[in-house]
Amino acid sequence: MNKAFKYGLWLVVLVLLAFKSVYFKKLSDVKKTDAGAFRPDAYAQNFWKTKLPAAEAKAVDIDQLLATLKNNPHSAFQTYGHVIAIGSTRFFMVKGHGKVTDVTPDEVILNTAGSAPVQLATTYVFGNAVRDASGMVQITEFSNTIDLSNVSGEIDKIIRKEVLPPFKQAVKKGDNVDFIGAIALNEAHLNLSNLEIIPVNLKLQK
Amino acid sequence: MALYKVILKPIDKFMGMRRLFPILLLLLVFVACRNNNNTAGQRPKIAVVVSTLNNPWFVFLAQTAAARVKELGYEPRIFDSQNNTALETDHFDDAIASGYKAILFNPTDANGSVVNVNKAKAAGVPVFCMDREVNSPAPTSQILSDSYSGCVELGKLFVKTLHQKGTYVELLGLVADNNTWNRSKGFHSVVDEYPGLKMVAQQSADFDRNKAMDVMQSVLQAHPDIDAVFCGNDAMAMGAYQALVAAGKANKVKVLGFDGAEDAVQAIKDGKILATAMQFPKIMAQTAANDADEYIKGKRDFPAKIPVAVEMVTPSNVNEYIAYGKKN
Repeated sequence: MNKAFKYGLWLVVLVLLAFKSVYFKKLSDVKKTDAGAFRPDAYAQNFWKTKLPAAEAKAVDIDQLLATLKNNPHSAFQTYGHVIAIGSTRFFMVKGHGKVTDVTPDEVILNTAGSAPVQLATTYVFGNAVRDASGMVQITEFSNTIDLSNVSGEIDKIIRKEVLPPFKQAVKKGDNVDFIGAIALNEAHLNLSNLEIIPVNLKLQK
Repeated sequence: MALYKVILKPIDKFMGMRRLFPILLLLLVFVACRNNNNTAGQRPKIAVVVSTLNNPWFVFLAQTAAARVKELGYEPRIFDSQNNTALETDHFDDAIASGYKAILFNPTDANGSVVNVNKAKAAGVPVFCMDREVNSPAPTSQILSDSYSGCVELGKLFVKTLHQKGTYVELLGLVADNNTWNRSKGFHSVVDEYPGLKMVAQQSADFDRNKAMDVMQSVLQAHPDIDAVFCGNDAMAMGAYQALVAAGKANKVKVLGFDGAEDAVQAIKDGKILATAMQFPKIMAQTAANDADEYIKGKRDFPAKIPVAVEMVTPSNVNEYIAYGKKN
């Protein structure tokens, strides 16, 4: 009898230990917890729909910007440039109209209304140009820099998947294009030739 | 009696004085210490705790920070953690106990160094991280190179140069350092979009030139026909290049680094290395020192993270750059 009580007690202890060591959680609850984490794709979608239109509305005409850059570069950087990081590179949201002079696998070359040759990037759309040029993203919104970088990656993905494919399919030499996009310029090494625009809005006129 | 006055009394007096010698000596030491404290009081001290002084890039970072601290009227002291968090802890204890007003910090380990920052914060000593990040909101501010974006640019160049196809090796830095992963993630955010580019090996060489050479030699035995090597810093790029020279493959394999170190900039000029991303340690060090000065003078609202842009250096623009920053 004593022995049975002893074994019974041990069994109770073991069952209690096993019960306390394992716990079950609903998968939906776990997903809910993950949902609290920062989602750069959701941020980028929201940026695209609610913030970018305001930035596009403020875009400076490319020919006007180039003229200001030639006459008073520092003033142009201060007036139209945006940046998040410390450094001499600034990003500009520009708009304009141009005639297609060449179409290559990686870019579309345009002559703007003011006869400036510019390149619309159609393949290598990566980096912070659109995020920073908008002036709508603040570093204080992010607790770590990797989230900030991932936002750029997601914005660029939208451009590569939504803006570029229909344009690349239709564009031909001689077409006219209305464009809005972002450019990067380094004030310490200012180079106004081979200007590359990361497009956010393209309208083709045949 | 006369004999006593002339000879014995001075001796007696002298013996009495001798008993006072230890006390006088102590007084002298005390006065000397007081004088030292007064000097320290006139020039408050700021510590520069750096992960290692075994790499010229960090030597430049530490010396620039110390020089700026001195310019601002403080007494700087550089502490070398020798990539050892235990030693780093000793330096923090020392700095806190010695009354340093601020710590300009280049951490050894993104997680392992958090405890030191917390300790300083608890003691009311502000910490400004330079170049390397800790995974904590405890530092007053963290001034960091935008490594991810720099490697996005390197990734674009990499894909264009290899025409979207080929095999490559990646040499990672210290696995406990956030910069290692920010650089790797930035690079892969571009390169992984191109299925024609295949990574055949990814190994850590701890940001160390000799380790990189050893790792590269063994990788080349298993994968002799690679097209490129992406390295998380210039020291590893130079080590990888040495291994490629020894294997007779230096002309075929493209090497990319990160930092903007002197030998890498020269290697780009000489056509040995394809590119690097130029960091600006001077900007980071000076910003950290200026922020510490402003904190001591009463400012409290600092951004948690301040990214510092990096710039890609290639054969086409290498003449515009010198090591650790732009040519004036």
